[in-house]
Amino acid sequence: MTRIHNNIRRLRFDRSEMTQQELAEKVGVTRQTVIAIEGDKYSPSLEVAFRIARVFGVPLEAVFQYEGTDSSEQAAD
Amino acid sequence: MDMSYQEKSIVGSLLAMLLVYGYYFAAVLRNVGQPEFAASGLGRLILAVIAIIVIQVVYQIVLALESKPEPKDERDILIEAKAYRNGYFAFATGAFLVIGVVIAAGLARDATPTRIIVTPFLLVNLVLLFMVLAEVVKLVTQLLYYRRGF
Repeated sequence: MTRIHNNIRRLRFDRSEMTQQELAEKVGVTRQTVIAIEGDKYSPSLEVAFRIARVFGVPLEAVFQYEGTDSSEQAAD
Repeated sequence: MDMSYQEKSIVGSLLAMLLVYGYYFAAVLRNVGQPEFAASGLGRLILAVIAIIVIQVVYQIVLALESKPEPKDERDILIEAKAYRNGYFAFATGAFLVIGVVIAAGLARDATPTRIIVTPFLLVNLVLLFMVLAEVVKLVTQLLYYRRGF
């Protein structure tokens, strides 16, 4: 599991149940990659992340959220 | 099981490798006492390579007819790169083992009456075995990463 979570499932649902295949074709990746991203098993490149956000017409952070600690907290550990 | 085009392609390559080289190395084991990598050994090796190519071509044609071919995307390329890394480690380990076998055989020959015979036949096939194992490691790694994530 990655520390980047996403709302792709909900965003697809809001866009009249866009299928994973449709999203994959619009983004230019395979359906398996969309499944892996949606299941938090793969963190896409920035370019693919931006393309996904553009398909839904929302900012990047409306699609992806990073739940790790910031670097200053890590340095203090 | 819902498999992508790339996964099906990898499964085909893996099965072809295991089938052909399994048969090849079974024949090698039967002739392990042979000193030189002679014409018969070379013939078997060439036959194995041709068999792999033929099986792969036929399988890829059938696969392309049955499911829509998909170009590799960034995840496919990343998984392949990680799999090549594991394959490289497997091959490097094998190379060190072969070097070890040659050195050990030399030391044993000089130091003791025990005869460890490292023939060209054995060496060629050991190197080949580790090349095949490295490829198998690469293919299995790809399948694992596709299924499990990374």
